[in-house]
Amino acid sequence: MADTFQQHPSSYRDPSGFIFYKNGILYRQVNQVFKKDFDQFVNNGLYQHLAENKLLIPHKRLEENLTGSPHWYTTLQPELLPFISYPYEWCFDMLKQAALLNLQTAKEAMNFGLMLRDASAYNIQMYKGRMVLIDSLSFELYDETKPWIAYRQFCEHFYAPLALMHYLKQPLQNLFVAYPDGISLNIVSAALPFKSKLNLHSYLHLHLQKTIGKKQDVENKKSRPFSKQRMKNLLQSLQEGIQSFTLRRSATQWSGYYDEANLRGDYVDLKKHIINDWLNKLNFNTVFDAGANEGEFSELVAAKSAYIISTDLDHGAISKLYLKVQQKNISNIYPLIIDLANPSPAIGVNNKERMSFLARCKVDVTLALALIHHLALTNNIPFDNIAEMFSSITRYLLVEFVPENDEKVKLMTLHKKNVLASYSLEYFLSGFKRYFSLLDTKEIGDSGRTLFLMEKLQAW
Amino acid sequence: MQHILLYIDPGSGSYLIQMIIAGVLGVAFFFKNIVFAVKHFFHRIFGRKS
Repeated sequence: MADTFQQHPSSYRDPSGFIFYKNGILYRQVNQVFKKDFDQFVNNGLYQHLAENKLLIPHKRLEENLTGSPHWYTTLQPELLPFISYPYEWCFDMLKQAALLNLQTAKEAMNFGLMLRDASAYNIQMYKGRMVLIDSLSFELYDETKPWIAYRQFCEHFYAPLALMHYLKQPLQNLFVAYPDGISLNIVSAALPFKSKLNLHSYLHLHLQKTIGKKQDVENKKSRPFSKQRMKNLLQSLQEGIQSFTLRRSATQWSGYYDEANLRGDYVDLKKHIINDWLNKLNFNTVFDAGANEGEFSELVAAKSAYIISTDLDHGAISKLYLKVQQKNISNIYPLIIDLANPSPAIGVNNKERMSFLARCKVDVTLALALIHHLALTNNIPFDNIAEMFSSITRYLLVEFVPENDEKVKLMTLHKKNVLASYSLEYFLSGFKRYFSLLDTKEIGDSGRTLFLMEKLQAW
Repeated sequence: MQHILLYIDPGSGSYLIQMIIAGVLGVAFFFKNIVFAVKHFFHRIFGRKS
């Protein structure tokens, strides 16, 4: 039976172990070659310390060779993450928190005679509302005479993108799609304004490293050894630099949306009432809030479901939702930046390393509230295609239709009236009925807008 | 055996640059601590007077 396992497509870099699925369960194998480091990690208390402080995903240890590999040392069964997201879907503050977590674990490891040996942003995931490290094989025995093996990786995965967003005042998480292994310091250094050179930390970690780092590719045996104090200074400097980075939340496309929506009488309350009513009748566990804005409706369903994937294309809205999730200690909302007209693609080796967003997002219920008119009118996506996308994601769909005589629609089509030719309730319903059956319809007061409850047709 | 574990190219840890950066930081943090100590000293004096 040992041969019936599937190695995870992203777990090929590290000879010390790998993750795999067997009978639908996710495991991590530790190889013999990493025995000494792993034993130290567990026996001297670092694992327990990190797991108890919610910095690392906890695991169960199984003394069973499930893969039949001759290199096997031990098997771990990590706690399962309900949903995997990637740095190109995170807002600035999520990436910043992930960076600080990385530095904190490196510092903690030093106190236990170990060191964090890689600093990949993909080793960090959101779990129960917090950013946590998910790779239990990231720690090796600490040699004080050696510098930080993961330093350049840390700079390219965290310091560089955060510095770019800070100095350019733009959300640039999409750069991770183009540069999945971190953003080259050559690009960052060229793109940053001069004032970044006046900041000691940014000058050293980005500009100076770019200049000198290239000249020295192999370890210089004649150099003086590194020291623990030097390592502490390095980590302290990275931490101070990253803590100083901010992405000021300027007025965004959607900021003030709810204030404005609330001006329309009891529109939002009525909508909530209808949605609540429908959800109470449905049997569901997982939810996708598409176009979640600041997550008012995500919060409404948070208590009723295992987890909610709340996405919006607007960085400012998702930033606010992330802060709210932190402040209110909500553990099951995943706030992510997703453009539904161009959801995250599958990338990496064989295009299997990082799954596409649509392949990861499989839920029982989807909320598409005040969203379809944006996809249909701003992005010109036909209703058929929108319905097809949702049918690949969800069983139930709660969708709002905004009619062509709505003030918002009039504003959106002021200079592109031609798109209205194929925009009407009839077109909407004929498109969606190809993939969904209609269970219920409710008008939202006298707003002219209508909510539909749909269920995916069995054929799809 | 240790080399097998270095699946990140050791050059990518950029030894020389870290030596230089750590050196600069050692000086920077040294002076920062002095400034902090001086500030703390005066703060204590003025704190007592008030």
